[in-house]
Parts: sequence; C-alpha cells; structure tokens
Amino acid sequence: MTSDALIMRGVTRDYPVGTAFGRKQTLRALRGIDLTVGKGRTLGLVGESGCGKSTLAKILLGVEQASSGEVLVEGRPISGYGRLERAGLIQPVFQDPYSSLNPRMTVETLIAAPLAVRGIGDSALRRRRAREMAALVGLPDHLVSSYPSQLSGGQRQRVAIARALIGEPRILICDEPTSALDVSVQSQILNLLHRLKSELDLTMILISHNLAVVHHLADEVAVMYLGQIVESGPSAEVFARPRHPYTEALLKAVLPPRAGVRLPELGLEAEFPSPLRPPSGCAFHPRCRVADGLCAERAPERDGTNHSFRCHHPLGGGDQAAAMTTPETA
Amino acid sequence: MDGPILEVAGLRVDIPVDGSTLRPVRRVDLTVGRGETVAIVGESGCGKSLTALSIMGLLPRSARPSSDHVRLKGEDISKASPRRWRKLRGDRIAMIFQDPMTALDPCYRIGDQMVEILRQHRSISRSDAQARAVELLGKVGVPTPEERLSQFPHQLSGGLRQRVMIAMALLCEPELVIADEPTTALDVTIQAQILRLLRDIQRETGIGLVLITHDLGVVAGVADRIVVMYGGEVVETGTCDEVLGAPLHPYTEGLLRSIPVPGETRQGERLGFIPGVVPRQSGEQTSCGFLKRCPYAMAECAGGPVAIRDIAHGRGVRCLLPPDPGARDPGLWTRFETEEVAS
Repeated sequence: MTSDALIMRGVTRDYPVGTAFGRKQTLRALRGIDLTVGKGRTLGLVGESGCGKSTLAKILLGVEQASSGEVLVEGRPISGYGRLERAGLIQPVFQDPYSSLNPRMTVETLIAAPLAVRGIGDSALRRRRAREMAALVGLPDHLVSSYPSQLSGGQRQRVAIARALIGEPRILICDEPTSALDVSVQSQILNLLHRLKSELDLTMILISHNLAVVHHLADEVAVMYLGQIVESGPSAEVFARPRHPYTEALLKAVLPPRAGVRLPELGLEAEFPSPLRPPSGCAFHPRCRVADGLCAERAPERDGTNHSFRCHHPLGGGDQAAAMTTPETA
Repeated sequence: MDGPILEVAGLRVDIPVDGSTLRPVRRVDLTVGRGETVAIVGESGCGKSLTALSIMGLLPRSARPSSDHVRLKGEDISKASPRRWRKLRGDRIAMIFQDPMTALDPCYRIGDQMVEILRQHRSISRSDAQARAVELLGKVGVPTPEERLSQFPHQLSGGLRQRVMIAMALLCEPELVIADEPTTALDVTIQAQILRLLRDIQRETGIGLVLITHDLGVVAGVADRIVVMYGGEVVETGTCDEVLGAPLHPYTEGLLRSIPVPGETRQGERLGFIPGVVPRQSGEQTSCGFLKRCPYAMAECAGGPVAIRDIAHGRGVRCLLPPDPGARDPGLWTRFETEEVAS
C-alpha cells in the first residue's frame, strides 16, 4: 500500500448554504470520492465547472477538510500532518500566474518563499537554491531579480512551478496550469511539466477542462460529474474507449485545429444541474442520450476494476474510439 | 450578388502613453461577405480585440484610430457621429462579448434589457417588443423564455447568459455581428452548443459574423475564412482549410505545431513552441514583425516592414519566404527551440 502517494476513500464535502428565506440547505460538493494515485503517476482530473474538482484539490492541499471519508497521503491520514510538514509534501500550481505571485517580491524571493516559511537554511543558501530552481524550470538567470510585472505569462508560470518545487515536494497539484496562457506558451509549460515529473519522480494531479492537455500529460484520468467520479482508468484506455456517455461527450467536444473539422453533435441538451438539487438516480440522466427509467430511479454502482465507471448502460467501446482518433471530416 | 457587408482597409490604432505611442493595431484589412464567418485569430496582445472595438466604434477615449475606410454596406462608419453610432450599434452591428456576466446589466431584468434595445431602434409597443424578446430567447434555445424575462442575469447559468447575449445581439436583425471570444468563459460541452447555435442562426439569417478567438479548434469548427494577426498586423489570410491545412506564415505554422491533438500527438511527446515573446508594440516597424521569433528568418527580413503578398484570391501572407510550406525544413524549428532553451 505504501506505493500509493494518495488514497481517497468515500470522501465527501458538504457546504451549508443559506437561502433567501433562512432555510438551511446543504450543498454536497463531493459525494463519495474513491481515488488512488500511485507514486510518480499523473492523474488527470476532468469535468465541468461545479463538478467539485477544485474542492477535491483544496482537500488534498489541506485548505479544506473532508466532511467524511478518509484521505491518506503516503500512507498517513492527511489530518495527521502538521501544516508545514504537509506543505513540504504537497504543493500547488495555480491557474493564473498573474494573481498567484506577489507583485512586490522579486523572482528570487518568490521562489525561495517556501524555504523561508519553513525556516530551512540561511538566506544565502535559499538564494542559491532559488537560482538552481530557476535554472531547472528554464528561467534565464538575469530574471531572478526581476518583479513579476516584468515577466511574460509563461515566465510567471515557470516561477510558480519553481516555487512549488523548491521544497522538494512529493506531490504537485496543478489546477488548470496552462489555461491562462497563450497557445504558443502553453506547450512550453506542458513540456516542462512532463520533463519535471520524470526527472523528479513527482506524483501529479492535473486538473483541467482541456482534454487535449490531460491526454498529453496524464497516465490516468478521472472524470467527475456533480461531485462523483463517473469514470476512471488508464488515460489511453479511457480516451480510446470511453464507457460513460458523459466522458464520450467531453471527448467529442474537443475541437482539433484541423481543416475540415465539423462541430460535434454531443447529444447533451439540458444544462448542468444545480449541485443544490442533484437529479435523482444517476446524476447525469437528464442530459444522457442513453438514459431510461432505471437511470432516474437508482444511482449506478461503480463497475469495472482497472477502468471503472458508474453507468447502467455503459458504452460498448470500439466505435467510440472514433471520437478521439479520427476527427469527423466534412 | 450583394457587395460585402463589412470592408475595413488600413485600420490602425495608436494609443499615446507617457510620451511614447503604442501601436497595438498597425495594418488591418478585412472583408466580410453576406452569410460569411470570418475568424480573427491571434494571441493576447495581437490587436484582435482592439480591431473589433474600433469597428464597433467602442475604443477607449485615449485611443486614436485611423483608417482608409471602414464600410458597412458601403457606408463609411469610421467617421460616424455619436448620434449616427447610436442608430448603428445594436441595430445594424451588434457585438457578443466574452463574459456575459459583465456585459449584461446585473440590476435590470432580462426582459427589460431586451425591450430597451428594441424600443431604442424600432417604434414598437412594449408588449410587441416583449413578444419579440420571447421569440428570440426561444430561438436561441433558452427554455421557458416567458419566465426568463422577469429574471436577473445572476439567476441564469453561464451558458444561458451567453444565449441571452446572442438573442440580444439578434433582436434588431443586424447585418453584422462581432463575437469576441464568445465561448471562452464556457465549459467545453456548452461551447459546442453555443458554436452550433451561432452557426445555425447565421445560416438562417445570412448575417456576416466576425469571430474573434485565440482557439484554433473553435475556428476550425465554424469559420469560413481565417485572418491571422500578429503584432497588430494581419500576417495570413485564407479559407479555413487553406490556413489550417497548409499554413504559409511561420507564425501560423508555429501555433499549429504547439497544440496537442489527441490521436495525433503521442502522449508526453515534446510539443513545439514559438521561442521568444511578443515584442512591445511601439514605434514604427523597421523589419518583419515576426523576425526575432522566426526560425526561417533571412537577411532580407530585417530590411524593412514586409508587405502582405497576395497568393491567390483571398489568400495572402505577410512573409518573404516562398509560399510553399513543403519546401521548408521543420528541423529548423527544433534547432531554434533548443537555442532558446540553452540561452
């Protein structure tokens, strides 16, 4: 069991929400998450806004606590770690390098901050480590005394990554690490993350709405819908043969920049439901193209072992592969 | 056959800042025909949004636009008076913004905002205007449109708000709609629905659509023609198939090779990128604007600004290289990228 970096068992997270008439309601952001991430593996977490993926990240970072269930980090419950100890183990990289870096600090100070907070080394050592990290993430040496406003978006994201890695964490949580960046820069950050994860043997959780990014970096993928994981498995497997109709729709929604691509027919008409009033039975049934009476009545159990899914009518595989490999041509 | 709906020639926007002048838009020519979707593509800072705003006459006050002409159905609107603009905007040209939460007024009901637009431009009774609003909300796929009229923007989901924005843009049956990143703030599954909606409406009404986006996938799905912008200039134009299938400008080529495509790029494969950063847009140009980031750069490229070259009807490129992508050595990109990483 010690080879698993992260284990979540039956994790839920409820938020009390007040309504206009003073009635208390409960928003169930996570509804029983089971998840295992092996050491050195990258898990891609995908789903639409409101599906709970950021709540999940906050729990892993210790910013939020689970309402119930168990979160194990390297075999120990996350609540058993002290704040600094946890920070030495798990680090985040956020979406927007414009707001996640203090504009009044130099690059060097920003990168060294985690060491300073934990009281590691003296300032000369911290400065040296910061320069090493800057080199590791491909920041030119002359930039270490600059301020964030003097950097491009890609360079800022490199600073954020260097800062996350300086304390030698085992686990990196990347929440939409490239979404705020331009296309030509995004690819450099993806190359960097890919190089670092193998060089440093990092375990990575990659949260993204961009399936092309997840496909590119993740070993495993978990698809979330309304606080539940509806499909998970090895990324190559899930992308080639999605079993859950929601995963299939997400895959079809990827528009490759190629001549002759047609807009996909997703067969998802209704809107994403409110997490305050999740639909009965399978939460996806009002939007599902294969749903029937059973789906509205009873929530599907998790099925399958390595590649698992929650669906009463899983897709057969085979023909769905077309969704990803050969974009429909006109 | 009608003439084009929109003709923009030699558009330029200068912004004086602290004694110097920024030139975010240097040279933009653009033609949009009836029923045509033209996508303006480029990364942040390329001038695409300012181009849209100047066509709409909505530039910030500090900006100084100039142009040979901006014609809407033959009428030069570049020098239209504020009074004339009030008639044009919302009636003959409409705009769809990226973020419907900030573009809709949070203090007014959906119905009131829609009725106001109609009553501004048409002599129409309040109840007729409401009926028209309901009709359009229904058309853009808003469920239970009558009930929505009395709702406020915050009561709707992001996808519904964007549908409301589209319905508002279409209220007066404009000839031209400019959509600035209309799906960027939306989830991928909603994005597909909204793009489909825009395309269907355009086919039905024959409006000219200018789609501004950084997402080449979105472009591939809906555009007829593509205008690629870099550093305030149009660097390449052509049909969607031409530009995506056989890009001529090294910038377009660089963009396309930096996007991972599931099923084409292998997992973890090193992706291409464009070394360097977008240069600051001030002063006059003394060379090709892409010079420093171009792996194919030659001595001539530094000689002066490069003019756009017409390869065929509607197909142009601002580059001195022979217009034959097959003759280029893609190994140059890799070498160029390695130099960047090493330096």
